[in-house]
Amino acid sequence: MRKLAFPMWTLLLGAALALPARAQTLKIGAPQPMTGPDAPFGDKFKKTYSMAIEEINAAGGVNGRKLEVVIEDHMAKNALAATVAEKLITQEKVLVLTGGRASGQAMEIASIAQRLKTPYLVDHPSADMITTKGFEWVFRNNPTGSIYPSAFNAFITESPGAMPRSAAVVYDNTLFGKTIATAAMKFLRSKNVPIVADEAYPVNTLDFKPIMTKVKGTNPDFFLMVAVATTDAILLTRHAKEMGIAPRAFVGFGGGFGVADFASQLGPLAQNVFSSAAWSGNPNDPRTKAFYDKFHAKYGIWPHEHEVEGYAAIYILADAFKRAKLTGNLEADRDEVRKALAATDMTTVFGKVKFASWTGPTGDPFTNQNIYSPEHSVLAQWRDGQLLNVWPKAVAETTLVFPDPSTAKK
Amino acid sequence: METFVQSLVSGVLMGALYAMIGIGLTVIFGVMRIINLAHGEMVMVGMFGAFWSQTLWGLDPFLSILLWAPVMFVGGMLLYRFLLRKIIPGGELNTLLYTAGLSLLVANLALLAWTGDYRTITLAYTQAPMRPLGIAVPGALAIGFGVAVVVTVALWLFLGRTDMGRAIRATSQNPEAAVLMGVDVERVAVVAFGLGTALAGAAGVLLAPSLYLYPTVGELLIVKSFVIVVLGGLGSVPGAIAGGLLLGVAESLGAVYVSSTYKDGIGYVIFLLVLLYRPSGLFGVGKR
Amino acid sequence: MSRRARILAGTAGALALAALPLVVKNTFFLHVCILVFMWTVLGAAWNVLGGFAGQVSFGHAALFAIGSYATIILFLKAGIAPWWGIPLGGVAAAGLSVPIGLLCFRLRGPYFSLATLAVAELARLVALNWEWLTNGPIGFLITTLPPLQILGYSVDWESKLPFYALAAFLMMAALLSTAWLRQSRLGAFLAAIREDEDAAEAVGIDTVRSKVVTLALSGFLAGLGGGFYAFYFRYVDPDAVLSIGLSMEMVFIAMVGGLGTVGGPLIGAVFLTTVGEAVRERFQVGHLVFYGLFMMLVIRFLPEGIWGRVLRLLARVQARVQRHGAA
Repeated sequence: MRKLAFPMWTLLLGAALALPARAQTLKIGAPQPMTGPDAPFGDKFKKTYSMAIEEINAAGGVNGRKLEVVIEDHMAKNALAATVAEKLITQEKVLVLTGGRASGQAMEIASIAQRLKTPYLVDHPSADMITTKGFEWVFRNNPTGSIYPSAFNAFITESPGAMPRSAAVVYDNTLFGKTIATAAMKFLRSKNVPIVADEAYPVNTLDFKPIMTKVKGTNPDFFLMVAVATTDAILLTRHAKEMGIAPRAFVGFGGGFGVADFASQLGPLAQNVFSSAAWSGNPNDPRTKAFYDKFHAKYGIWPHEHEVEGYAAIYILADAFKRAKLTGNLEADRDEVRKALAATDMTTVFGKVKFASWTGPTGDPFTNQNIYSPEHSVLAQWRDGQLLNVWPKAVAETTLVFPDPSTAKK
Repeated sequence: METFVQSLVSGVLMGALYAMIGIGLTVIFGVMRIINLAHGEMVMVGMFGAFWSQTLWGLDPFLSILLWAPVMFVGGMLLYRFLLRKIIPGGELNTLLYTAGLSLLVANLALLAWTGDYRTITLAYTQAPMRPLGIAVPGALAIGFGVAVVVTVALWLFLGRTDMGRAIRATSQNPEAAVLMGVDVERVAVVAFGLGTALAGAAGVLLAPSLYLYPTVGELLIVKSFVIVVLGGLGSVPGAIAGGLLLGVAESLGAVYVSSTYKDGIGYVIFLLVLLYRPSGLFGVGKR
Repeated sequence: MSRRARILAGTAGALALAALPLVVKNTFFLHVCILVFMWTVLGAAWNVLGGFAGQVSFGHAALFAIGSYATIILFLKAGIAPWWGIPLGGVAAAGLSVPIGLLCFRLRGPYFSLATLAVAELARLVALNWEWLTNGPIGFLITTLPPLQILGYSVDWESKLPFYALAAFLMMAALLSTAWLRQSRLGAFLAAIREDEDAAEAVGIDTVRSKVVTLALSGFLAGLGGGFYAFYFRYVDPDAVLSIGLSMEMVFIAMVGGLGTVGGPLIGAVFLTTVGEAVRERFQVGHLVFYGLFMMLVIRFLPEGIWGRVLRLLARVQARVQRHGAA
């Protein structure tokens, strides 16, 4: 038993000896899923962090110091996320944390960041709980699950005749799915829209046809689908249409509805499906376009939500580092970065950023949540294999098609 | 009423494919008395086989069953011969744990090789469902159903009419007597395992166009397969068919009339009830 | 090992455990130790049922989860401090294991194992959907721990020491109860049941009662582990505490360590934590590939586990020494 502790010792000793050489770089810790089922997402963040770091360092770094991101694999397990967060804070001695990916892991990281007094900038995880517990060391740039439906809510309120006469909501029974569905239903109910179906499904359900059979019987005016997984999104839509559900609008919430695969796998079935996400990217914005092109040129794939969020997070941190008075004392520096983050007021590729305490759609008070989050929510629509923003009008790329002509009642 | 019929139809179609997975498992158990926890992964391999043969060579998934079934048959035989054979004398529980380890290994190697990205197979000729009498019947599922029926009939003939088939049934019923009757039990075991694996792979190929593929799908399928074989009676092929259909229909009706959240739970509850009150299964083949 | 050697080893081990945090201040190292201790408790829990009674359960995560949820709910909703909540969690898990046992023990061998799998999956569905009790997928988060005074000192919850002490204590409790079980009458009954249940029945052993009591002990330990998890990691949600992966890890620890031995789970836990980490970092391969492969290798080549093999070698050495001594 003692013998097996020895390798651990040598590892730690080695790490301890190696540390002083890196004291000059500004270290950002990022727990991400690098192996296991969530690995593709971790990879996206790794790529986007690299790109951001390279750009910033090539431009001279921040106040002459280079940035560095240390990624640790948490394999999408909460306990491991806690372990690697601690490792990053106490062993790697990072200045700040970012990343997390899924809300369960992010909760652990936030809890540890708060207790060990290290700033944590949330870039993607969307559980409201992360910023409603009064953690002053935790900041979030992206919208929370309850804020996601904002653009959709605006659309049905502002567009004439768009208010649903009834709505069926099918969502996955995860933190993400449930939060979004609950927020959407709460809003609809406040507008006196009857919810004719409220169906939660387990993630990775292989067969949606029974649910769709049930929903079809309720004849909904609007059909809302929430899916964390891309394949759930695809199957939901496919089975809904196969079963003959014919609402005036199909609305999808969740990353799965916004990726290229959705259109390429569904073909004509994807036409006119709405997609509501944290960020659909406005190609009219030159900054966004520049990011898109550069990412594609560097990695050969087109970036989406995750990549933009990670990229923006690095820039927000760099901005905070610039304004913070760093003395070399780790505890003091972390506190300085925290204060600098709290004073952030900038624009990134993702959008405007300013952290504050305010009350969100769930009624719970946020701490350090980006006040521009509701603006980040965008409603887009699939048209001929392309996802185009349609609401709010300010970022619209085309006029929307509503009601869905394929389901028009004769 | 329409909802009920629709539900029933969906359940039967799905159930037939479930049944095919179950048949493979029950054949293996019947002959060798081993519970193969890696069976779900065999289905997964079949699914990915169909996907890759379509993506890389443009081979239609339904046709690819002609390729993958024999490949999986041979693969199954090799698996048994080189990995499993030495473990079986170690006892039921050792074998169970061993196949659990194998299942973890295969699923996670697949995860490593093919990443956790979900894949789907799209077929140009099944985009819109057929609608006989207003009931939606998804094309891919219907074809899968058809092929499954053909395969099951072929299996039935094999077991009933050929020497090897009879040898398999004999060993299933009574291994000692089979040896006395001159059956090469060891050879039968190898063939049976190959057969079970081939059936699993074939089921995967047929399922692939209707579902989506990801390396850990085996986890989900293995529990369903056990419900089916226990329901129908371990070792009984007609039992597996009945069990599969029953599970498919129960899940379908359950999701519509009871609750979609607990849909998977229906299988488990049925499973526990059967284990407790009729452990020999519907067709009463018996535990031992 | 002789009884005296065992007591010596145990005391030395306990002293080393107590001294470690005073010598090594590195918080991450202590965190790893805490993980090892927690996994030892879980491995020991599974070992009690699987190694001693020969009943292979694939659903032990359910018992772990009962402990976790009980502890965290009692604290967040009823204000009961976790140091009471953890043993209560153990009791809850033990209590609920009785009906589970009465249900599943009607089955033998692989049927029992499959039934436990079904029960655990049902538990997961319940945890995910019975929101009134479990908060569904959102789970529970502990933000602040209650103040505690021990011997006039105020406990610092940000330090690893209190958790280290508690985890070490729970581990000793688990190992000692396993040791007790082994040389108790119940332990003898279990050995008989493991070899041949029908024969044991024929000899007059109440097999159902023995198995249920053993499951209760196993459940108690798993529940303690679960309660500790809630206390240390502070966040409980269905995916974290009710995954099949968790159940398999418990099996893995007990198997690789050595079924039916006392020290096995500790060896298994150390193995899992250190070698698992190393493999992950070195090969970037998901650690589950490692688990699956290892389980197969262990069953094929080392069915009695690492510690089991070590004990056997030691016994052989001892026998040889004695023979030489006599001659």
